[in-house]
Amino acid sequence: MVPDRDLSVKPMTDDRQGDELNSDPAVPMRFEKANCLVLACGNTLRGDDGVGPKLAEWAAERFRGDSNVHVVARQQWTPDLAADIAAADSVLFVDSSADSDPGRVSLVAVPSNRGCGDAASHHLEAHELLGLTRSLYGSMSAHAMLLTVGAASTELGESFSEPVESAIPRARGVLEKTVLRFLAN
Amino acid sequence: MSQTITIDPVTRLEGHGKITIQLNGQGEVEDAHFHVTQVRGFERFSEGRPFYEMPGLMARICGICPVSHLIASAKACEAIMSVRIPHTAAQLRRMMNLAQMVQSHALSFFYLASPDLLLGMDTDPKVRNILGLAAAKPELGRAGVALRRFGQSIIELLGEKRIHPGWIVPGGVTEPLEPAKRDKILAMIPEAHANIAMALGAYKKIADTFKAEIAVFANFPSNYMSLINEDESIEFTDGALRLIDAKGATIEDGITATRYTEVIGEAVEPYSYTKFAYYKPLGYPAGSYRVGPLARLNIVKHMATPKAEKELAEFKQLASGPVESSFHYHHARLVEMLYGIEKIEEILADSRILDKHVRATAGVNRLEGAGQAEAPRGVLHHHYKVDENGKMTWANLVIATGQNNKAMNLGVLQAARHYIKDGKFTEGILNRVEAVVRTFDPCLSCSTHASGQMPLAITLVSSEGEVLDKVVRD
Repeated sequence: MVPDRDLSVKPMTDDRQGDELNSDPAVPMRFEKANCLVLACGNTLRGDDGVGPKLAEWAAERFRGDSNVHVVARQQWTPDLAADIAAADSVLFVDSSADSDPGRVSLVAVPSNRGCGDAASHHLEAHELLGLTRSLYGSMSAHAMLLTVGAASTELGESFSEPVESAIPRARGVLEKTVLRFLAN
Repeated sequence: MSQTITIDPVTRLEGHGKITIQLNGQGEVEDAHFHVTQVRGFERFSEGRPFYEMPGLMARICGICPVSHLIASAKACEAIMSVRIPHTAAQLRRMMNLAQMVQSHALSFFYLASPDLLLGMDTDPKVRNILGLAAAKPELGRAGVALRRFGQSIIELLGEKRIHPGWIVPGGVTEPLEPAKRDKILAMIPEAHANIAMALGAYKKIADTFKAEIAVFANFPSNYMSLINEDESIEFTDGALRLIDAKGATIEDGITATRYTEVIGEAVEPYSYTKFAYYKPLGYPAGSYRVGPLARLNIVKHMATPKAEKELAEFKQLASGPVESSFHYHHARLVEMLYGIEKIEEILADSRILDKHVRATAGVNRLEGAGQAEAPRGVLHHHYKVDENGKMTWANLVIATGQNNKAMNLGVLQAARHYIKDGKFTEGILNRVEAVVRTFDPCLSCSTHASGQMPLAITLVSSEGEVLDKVVRD
């Protein structure tokens, strides 16, 4: 049996870039088997909002042939994705962030017990989707992280702003490292 | 002093709309309107495009019912080409349209309506949503998720994409069905049956507790229109239209896509970007009619699948003639989902379903063509004109939501008059007025070919512009 492992003990920050990685050490993450879902969100026609699908595209290629990694990219996170999360041991949400500095790469744990507020029916936030999964599928407990890249512009267009373009290699590195950590446990 | 209540935007709909309610000096409701407030205008920017691009372009109108747009558009193109598509292609299209109906109805019933139905109209709006439903009724939440995924998975298996598949094209479909995909779909059928049986059982248990809402949720006589087969069974993809009156008598039958514009007109009201369809011989508004699940079940005599047939018989017991209250759209939606699951299984048993001949080809043989299909929320009509080179010169789309527009407005007025007294209202009353619109499951993106999102605010304003009361939902 693979031993449980606490993945929250090493907050990682690239000070030079101002990136914030795994900033929520209060949520321990424990794994019993490797099975990772990469769940990206964004609109590729709205500038930096498309960085999630762009990273998902890279992840699908990077982990091609690895049946333990499942990559899904959607314009919105909808309630039916709860079934995908329930089927995975770990989930890495990937999205752009309007609240972060442009180009800032962040990796944080996603709590499933946070309040859901006035949830929409057509799209959910990562923690809402995780909470929905817990409500619907009971004992299943997905170990979840959220990787975001700060957006500079979400105006119409298929290209990224300079800060996001230059952040993509770092975001790929964080994505790869996180998935490999998930798989290693 | 007269006052106006504004609900803007209305929540848990497909698209963006608002409701205004006018009160007289005594605080009684004088009038009410459901406004569709966005416009994008797909007809206009299709002009100049090659006609064979139209299905792919028009499907972008909507992320919920793109398959219906693909089918109606492809059929309009096939009228221009003067071709009849292969039997297998017609069956495969029918299956995808039914899969879309199941996933769309699942979204409407479980995600949008069930928070009201299963948690209560007066429940705190912070939990009156899909997350609250999942916490309170997880088994029904799982059924909703599974039924939506059932429909989406079939669309993806057939067309490679869950939304906007490019598989339906003028002349048929691009690829035949592979045996492995057929087997995957067949393997999903038993679970889908179990889930819809659970949902029907749960709905029937609680339906009687909504007698007050049933009485005033667009509960009035009207005309109804839907596709129907020659044997009077339900049809979503082919067949012809039948229009019946409030007593169930046929007003007009056999309305083909070509004849549609002879008998159906579109009126315009100043308060909405969505037009108001009506039956021309009766004029507007007397010729207004309802479409969608309620209309379909009121019109057809058979479902032509065994389990749905029994459910139809039970549904028709709700009234001696057509079932009038729009609250029963919810029930009709569940019966149709059951039909869709049964019919998909039946289509997969067709001995020719794996046939490789799935597309007919031709050029421009007519300069005008029309196509129609049933979208989940009702009749959808596409009408095109092209030049000799096949470039689009004109397009008109008549959408289900436009055909339900008058009934939705009258329904809002009926509920507002019943619930709002002395100019005061609660959040629960506000929710009931919205819920009238939700029963129709309108797609406002389709109706104006636009998209939107919906927080909500309701404001009571005096005729002098003074804000008298306000409820805001972020």
